[in-house]
Amino acid sequence: MERHEADVLIIGGGFAGTWAALRAAEVGASVILVDKAYVSRSGASTMSGGITTCPLDSDDLDVWAEEFITRGGYMCDQRWSYQLLEGQRERVKDYERWGVPISRDDKGNIRRFASRGMINVRGMQYQPKAAMREMRRRITDLGVKIIDRVCITDLVTSDGCWPTRGAAAGAVGFHVHSGVFVVLRAKRTIVATGMIAMKGTHRVDNDTGDGPAMAFRAGARLIDMEFTFGGTFNVLMKRYDFPSYNVAIAHGARLINSKGERFMEKYDPVRLERSELSHVVAAFAKQIIDGNGPVCVDLRHVDDTYWPDIHRIHRGGGILLSEHVPDPTVTPLPIEPTWGMWASGRSGLQIDLNGRTNVPRLLAAGSAAKNDATGTHASAGSPTAFCNVSGWHAGDCAARESLEEQLPFVPEETLSALRDAAFAPLGRKPGAKTPDLLHDDLARLEASVVDGMVLSGERLQVMLAVTEDVSRMTCEIHAQDLHDLVKVHEARNVAECAGAVYRSALDRTESREQFFRQDYPYTDPSWFCWHGIRRGEQGFIFERIDFPTDGVKFPIKNTEAGLGPIGAIIRGEALQKEHA
Amino acid sequence: MNVDASIKVTIDPATCTGCGLCILACPVDVIRFDEAAGKAYVAYGKDCQVCYLCEDDCPTHSIGLSHDISNSRRYSVYDQFGIDF
Repeated sequence: MERHEADVLIIGGGFAGTWAALRAAEVGASVILVDKAYVSRSGASTMSGGITTCPLDSDDLDVWAEEFITRGGYMCDQRWSYQLLEGQRERVKDYERWGVPISRDDKGNIRRFASRGMINVRGMQYQPKAAMREMRRRITDLGVKIIDRVCITDLVTSDGCWPTRGAAAGAVGFHVHSGVFVVLRAKRTIVATGMIAMKGTHRVDNDTGDGPAMAFRAGARLIDMEFTFGGTFNVLMKRYDFPSYNVAIAHGARLINSKGERFMEKYDPVRLERSELSHVVAAFAKQIIDGNGPVCVDLRHVDDTYWPDIHRIHRGGGILLSEHVPDPTVTPLPIEPTWGMWASGRSGLQIDLNGRTNVPRLLAAGSAAKNDATGTHASAGSPTAFCNVSGWHAGDCAARESLEEQLPFVPEETLSALRDAAFAPLGRKPGAKTPDLLHDDLARLEASVVDGMVLSGERLQVMLAVTEDVSRMTCEIHAQDLHDLVKVHEARNVAECAGAVYRSALDRTESREQFFRQDYPYTDPSWFCWHGIRRGEQGFIFERIDFPTDGVKFPIKNTEAGLGPIGAIIRGEALQKEHA
Repeated sequence: MNVDASIKVTIDPATCTGCGLCILACPVDVIRFDEAAGKAYVAYGKDCQVCYLCEDDCPTHSIGLSHDISNSRRYSVYDQFGIDF
């Protein structure tokens, strides 16, 4: 058993985790950062599309905040909207000062463009991988202890109970190469493990909702889990990965159906393909249902800077100019989206302005947390901005609060029980199911973009039953080696998160924004609230939580009853004014 | 589409220097170090997601990647609806 102690433990080393580590170390705390892979090459941060929100000193942040708040359906904490923009302005300056490559115009100014889904908010294109490399170098220089390749299996609680009546006291896990069990005791624990997603439906294959799942088991509140559903256009000609839809449309790419129609003109004549992704995906599904497929990405109209940028910033961009596909400067290419669990801050652990969850001494940051700055709609670039800024604040708060405290005591029996549970699959007999087959069962829930967008109580019950089966199987399944053991814990966490998503979806008896139930197709104003789910001692607890009125600059406008945008698009009806 | 989950990544042992950068780079732990040969090798190839991180970091261009879709758990809506192109 390997033991470590620190003022602040951070689980997950993407943008949120490394910004938390950097700030906590600056404040003077001892910091441990642990990751399932190698910090700077792990998770969605490294693989992100290369767009982040880019407010500069000359921008009027009122205009930007208003767009975040109104596009997000007012379902946010307006103080967070401002905190995000003010914080990100400083983070962009940091990247400039550190020499992170950022796309610039002829005069050397940052080249900015309207973020997808927005008219006023601007994003910039940069190299996220270079930024992550720089973050690792800087936190190492500040004395942060980085522990790579450790799979965290559970949080430790002060009372040895899950859910806890006490507080978070650290975490346990194992080295994925050596199998050595690791105990990490800390005064404050920050969960920054990234998005909730299935394993094997995106290229970011190690974002399996580990942090939200283990925090949920410890009693933390998840918020708006039914809004976890999301997707983007990422599959070309049924077999190739399409490099960043957001980047392509920022440069002028279009979507056309089999009749050559630019179908987004009907739904959003101003923003077109830059509309909310859920609207574009729904419009895609409508084309397929109506027999107007395939839908093609039309790159004949992109500006000249697209091709060098796509090569430089997206390694996968090479496919577009390879012999594998017809010349995209001449021929539109069939494309399709995914639709499933892909949180991007629309759901996750509820945090306050300092990153605190409802479990004492447990904080969260980044895509593991609900992004209260942007409500139900995350524009291109805002998830990474939220990672940077929420990480910074969580690190700041955790460090300051930890300095006056003692390390929590954790009984040895608690640690022994957690170690036995972590390694149990290695000692079981092989059965019909393997960890890979569990992930197959889970991923099959997202097999169809059309079925995934059009939900119903009946379908959600079937989906929930699959997650319950997988959860049960993770308690019976055999792992043949440590690599397999990681997958068992990932399946446990995916199933935990997916169960919370489907339970929340069943509890919400209406349709709203990207969430559409055909058995409840209309928006119900009584659901204008945050929707919480947490584990209580007697079972799941659902909560409706009012939006904060503190610091409200733009009067909160409750949604009117009506057909939600996805329902309207699928039924071929015009979008209501506030949706278009 | 259910593309066969064949191995998408290869490492050329003739040019691999055993520096280990690709092992660090892989987010899903596909690549390991062969102590006897002093080189990296593909240990869990079917888990490769073709994210290009290892190829980018390899100083001797020893890594080959298939452009075919990285993922066996994605399904095409065009197959579901019988749309050919």
